[in-house]
Amino acid sequence: MFRLNSLVIVFFLGMSLCFFACKQSGKVEVKDTSEMHKATSEEIENLVEQFILAEAGTTINIPAGFYEMGTQLIIDNLENVKIIGAGMEQTILSFKTLKVGAEGMKIVGKNILMQDFAVYDAPGDGIKTHNCDGITFRRINATWTNGDKSKNGTYALYPVQSKNVVIDECTASHSRDAGIYVGQSENIIVKNCTAFGNVAGIEIENCTNAEVFNCKAYDNSAGILVFNLPDLPVADGKRTRVYNNEIIENNHVNFAIPISETPNGNTITMVPPGSGMILMAAKEVEVFNNKILNNKTVGVFVGNYHITGFPMDAPNWSPFSSNISIHDNEYERPAALPDMTKDFGKLLTAKNAHGVGKTQDIVYDGFWDESTGKDIAENPMNICIREKGMDKMHFTRFDMRGGEKDIKAYKNYKPFECDYSVETDVQMLTQL
Amino acid sequence: MSFLQKNNSLLYLISITIFFAIFFFGSCEKEALTPDDIDFDKIPYKTLSEYGFFTGNPADMNPSERVLPYKPVSQLFSDYAEKSRFVWMPQGVSADISDKENLEIHFPDKSILIKNFYYSEAENGEQRIIETRLLMKKAGKWQAYAYVWNDQQTEANYKITGANIPVSFTHGGKQHDITYVQPNKNQCKSCHNQKEELMPIGPKARNLNYDFDYGGGEVKNQLAKWQETGYLSNFTDPKSYPCMVDYTDESASLDLRAKAYLDINCGHCHSAVSPASTSGLFLTYEQKDATKWGVYKPPVAAGIGAGSFKYDIHPGKGDESIFVHRMKSTHPAVMMPEIGRVTVHEEGVALIRDWIDEM
Repeated sequence: MFRLNSLVIVFFLGMSLCFFACKQSGKVEVKDTSEMHKATSEEIENLVEQFILAEAGTTINIPAGFYEMGTQLIIDNLENVKIIGAGMEQTILSFKTLKVGAEGMKIVGKNILMQDFAVYDAPGDGIKTHNCDGITFRRINATWTNGDKSKNGTYALYPVQSKNVVIDECTASHSRDAGIYVGQSENIIVKNCTAFGNVAGIEIENCTNAEVFNCKAYDNSAGILVFNLPDLPVADGKRTRVYNNEIIENNHVNFAIPISETPNGNTITMVPPGSGMILMAAKEVEVFNNKILNNKTVGVFVGNYHITGFPMDAPNWSPFSSNISIHDNEYERPAALPDMTKDFGKLLTAKNAHGVGKTQDIVYDGFWDESTGKDIAENPMNICIREKGMDKMHFTRFDMRGGEKDIKAYKNYKPFECDYSVETDVQMLTQL
Repeated sequence: MSFLQKNNSLLYLISITIFFAIFFFGSCEKEALTPDDIDFDKIPYKTLSEYGFFTGNPADMNPSERVLPYKPVSQLFSDYAEKSRFVWMPQGVSADISDKENLEIHFPDKSILIKNFYYSEAENGEQRIIETRLLMKKAGKWQAYAYVWNDQQTEANYKITGANIPVSFTHGGKQHDITYVQPNKNQCKSCHNQKEELMPIGPKARNLNYDFDYGGGEVKNQLAKWQETGYLSNFTDPKSYPCMVDYTDESASLDLRAKAYLDINCGHCHSAVSPASTSGLFLTYEQKDATKWGVYKPPVAAGIGAGSFKYDIHPGKGDESIFVHRMKSTHPAVMMPEIGRVTVHEEGVALIRDWIDEM
């Protein structure tokens, strides 16, 4: 008895240590810019002028230096423009003192290249590109240097309603929402990127024909997300492949809202820390050959919009995830308790099929469209899972149709043993 | 020989004197510049006075002939700045108002819209004009040029990179000390944007289809006045055009006042053809779909802008709606509109809060 008690004490001590350690992971390491050349007001004015006077075919070179921008940098609907810095560590555009305008940079146009610079401390989004056809982010670092991360902006790199998007060798960190967020777009490659310290590392939302590969997502609350949200002009995203990524230790506290507050209307505020991948209302998604390691709550979560509790009646959109394939990934469960800060974390911790406090490798929330099939055993939404050693993995399928009071959880993965592959075609992006 | 030479020199001297006399005399008599003199190949001019929009003391903002004042029925809030607006078109051309479906007025080339931003009670209780913004239509496309007034209020100079201008003014008996932000040139299209083309916002049929006091006892429907001035073609009867309400008019319904406010303050960006199309939140006066104007609509990319709240409009709960939260803020990532103000429009917040409370 005594022995047991001391074990419990040791356990709680360990937990509190972990708690502090986890808090520590929120600490932001900031590059020392004090020795850098501080751009003069003339140099800054000149840079703003170059953006304003740019024409089709213009290349804007931004020499090394730390630029304290007092106004937004905008490319206004131009073709074939290049914005080239002297390196991710050498050219730093800081938007810390902006008084109006949420984004640091806003880009609209055709065949735009941004390369080799950093964007710091935008009030809202770091770089937003809208209505672009052909937009490349290459070796861009977008981040926030506030010690207090609750002051950070929303998305670091934010292409939206764009076509032919390449994000290559970029780093995105410390966003209050997603580091790399591609929304309502078509034909997308996100590769060789690093996302850390964000609430969500990389998010593909309401997009069609996207590939995410060779990326590292670590120390976010959630590593990689594929979502479809309702009531948006582009609502029917489909065809995403996520492969060859390292999705590791995404156990960061979710700082999208203060820890004391209940989630607001941003879906991201509900996301439980310790989530490797989350698919929600996702269509035609293939997740394979990824290293999904030491995410304390769940490796891959396949969910439906129902879990948000938000209205689901929207045109041209379905709340269900369907045609999902998860195979040949590598998993590792950490020696840590799953999340208890978010409702869904608590649900997983308490009600999963493998025992209280167990980390899950794959979870399916188990809502399905009963118009496509009456029995979940027939796998009506075509959720396919083929992982090695499935019998040793922690798989849970919930049944929440009975409401909160009657949540059932099942280990049986057999209904979901099937093969399915998603076709994407991003050939057209190789020359960007 | 020498006499002749002397005589010639004398004649020469006399002729030069006469020439200069004529020159100076002539220049004194020269007529003041008018917009008819504008060379559209040379715009933007460096200074505002070169356009000849105003006569006499520039700070009095007295329009030249055919520079016609106008006022949209509801107005965009810009840090309590007052605005005087004018329209000008070349002789012999007029705008087309036949497109009733889109409610747009189609302006001819070389049309000019002029907007002065000023405070009647700025420092020391004196009037101060901060800036003048021009929209000029050249070769089928609108161009935006902004001019910042000097401290002496004698001239305004072209500025493309924007400016942060300290201003103190009094509104409703309260003193405000602000840093007025003049947008940089590319920020104009954050609002003036339809399908990535720069477009005017105020001069729509439904915003001008009401009476304006032109002075000297002349109170007239603005569209009729434009027609009379030659600025409109195919205008028929005001009754055949829609009309928005004035959001400050307390005799109008709360619902229409709120929608008028949202239209003129938000609808230019929150429409399917403008930058905030990404949000799926559409706030034009014509919008009939309650979800599209925010009822029980969760945000998408609002980030910190969502505050602690779930919906853009939470019916019955103004203070728990993201609309009110963002209107009450001056944090650049929270506040709406994103640009164009650094202060809170208290009256606007009250209107929208009341509207949502009563839903």
